[in-house]
Amino acid sequence: MKYLILVLMLVGCSTTVPVTSKFPEPPKYSLQTCPNLQLLKDGSKLSEVANTVTINYSTYYECAVKNDAWIEWYKIQKHIFESVK
Amino acid sequence: MWILKFLPDWIFHGIFLVGLIGFAATYLFKYIPIPFIFVYRKPIQIGSVLVIIFGTFMSGAVYDNNTWEERVREMEAKVAKAEVESKEANIKLEEKVQQQKEKIVQKQVVVKQYIDREVTKYDNTCAIPKEFVEVHNKAATK
Repeated sequence: MKYLILVLMLVGCSTTVPVTSKFPEPPKYSLQTCPNLQLLKDGSKLSEVANTVTINYSTYYECAVKNDAWIEWYKIQKHIFESVK
Repeated sequence: MWILKFLPDWIFHGIFLVGLIGFAATYLFKYIPIPFIFVYRKPIQIGSVLVIIFGTFMSGAVYDNNTWEERVREMEAKVAKAEVESKEANIKLEEKVQQQKEKIVQKQVVVKQYIDREVTKYDNTCAIPKEFVEVHNKAATK
C-alpha cells in the first residue's frame, strides 16, 4: 500500500502552457469619434437653417449607427470569445 | 520538461520495465548456480527500485506532457478558428454599417434637394430671429 501511494505521488507532474488569444481588432470606422454638430450663422435664412438641421440629424444618425455597431461588435466578439473554452 | 524534448517517450517506459525486470530477477538469483551474483542481490534490488521510481516518475511526466500538448493544440485550433470568425464578423458588420451610412447620406441628399426646391421660396418671407440662432447653437454645442 505504501509503495502504491508512493507510485501515485510520483506520477503527478503538471505543466501549465498558456495559450493566449489576440484581442480582436475593432472595425476602423468605429474608432472615429463623432463630429461636432454644425452651428447657424447670424442672419441665416430659413433654407440655411433647414440645411443645417438636416446635416445635424444626419450626423446624429451616422453616430448612432457607429454606436449600434459597437454594441453589436461587442456582442459578437463576446459570443466568439466565450465559445473558446 | 526539457528531457522530454530530447528523448523519445518509449525510453522512459523501457527504463521502468528494466527496473521491474531487474527487481523480479533478484528473486531468481537463488536458482542461479553462480554464488557471487547472490552477493549483489541487495544493491541490485535498491538500484532496480530507484530505476522503477525514476521510470514511474518519467512515465507520469510523459503522460502529463502529452496531455498538455494535446490540450494546447486543441486550444490553438479553437483560438485560430475564433480569430477567423472574428474577422468575418467584422467584415459583415462593416458592410452593414456602410449600407446604413449610405442610406443616411441618400436621405440627406433628398431632403437637401427638397429644401433647395421648396423651402428657399420662403427665405425672403420668413426672417429667422437672432434668439432662434442662439438657442439652436447652444443646443448644438457640447
